[in-house]
Amino acid sequence: MSSRRSTQSGTSRITDDQIIELVSKLRQLVPEIRNRRSDKVPASKVLQETCNYIRSLHREVDDLSERLSQLLATIDADSAEASIIRSLIAQ
Amino acid sequence: MRNPSLIKEEFLKRWIIALRRCTSLKKNMNILERNKVVKLSADLAMASARNGTTSWSRALIANATRDNDNRILAEQILGPESEILVKRVSTMPFKTCNRRKIRSKRILKRSCSSAIRRVRKTVPRKVLANCIAKRLIQKRTHILKSLVPGGEFMDETTLMEETLDYIAYLRVQVDVMRSCTYC
Repeated sequence: MSSRRSTQSGTSRITDDQIIELVSKLRQLVPEIRNRRSDKVPASKVLQETCNYIRSLHREVDDLSERLSQLLATIDADSAEASIIRSLIAQ
Repeated sequence: MRNPSLIKEEFLKRWIIALRRCTSLKKNMNILERNKVVKLSADLAMASARNGTTSWSRALIANATRDNDNRILAEQILGPESEILVKRVSTMPFKTCNRRKIRSKRILKRSCSSAIRRVRKTVPRKVLANCIAKRLIQKRTHILKSLVPGGEFMDETTLMEETLDYIAYLRVQVDVMRSCTYC
């Protein structure tokens, strides 16, 4: 399939080499793609998994910052936990 | 790719400095303000750790410092040492307006579906499958461009490199924030 795509590569916007490179690097980063062989993963699937992964990371950051801000609100007065944070800062 | 634990250290250091700056600025914040502060300082710490070497980090800082609601807070978080970086990113192009995006998406959809209808009558299945695959790639590249900061202004190659770097840094951000929250 990849050879067929490359003959039309005049019009295709992402080349096969870029896809292969992206897949090999993404395999280490994105859990979903890790189990599939690189030559069987179509470009659209790679892009879809990448987008989903970025979205889930964004959601997690939002969720964590919300939790952390709630935590910070409660520890302001408490000196024991404040000293833990201080030791974290000192690292 | 850089050593992830080095990136973690760098991010944590910057984030804590940023948080301290914000809390010294305003002692008693309500929960919404605090949430905004935590998130913004984490994002900006992540972007400034890259020190303007990547497009996404510059775009992230540019968007934060241009947003009228958060500009002063963002500049406070970044601090005096980032003044040069802030000046540098002020020349970056603006994010496109959402309304324009939606309208151009509709036009693209309409023109593509009519093209597919025309093609379907005269062209063999294999070529049609390739055409659909190409459309999918275009559509998903477009989505990826909207997810990566500054992606709308990048070409395909840059977008791929920036995506990989951005994902690596996002993972670091999530790891550090998770260990801080659940320590």
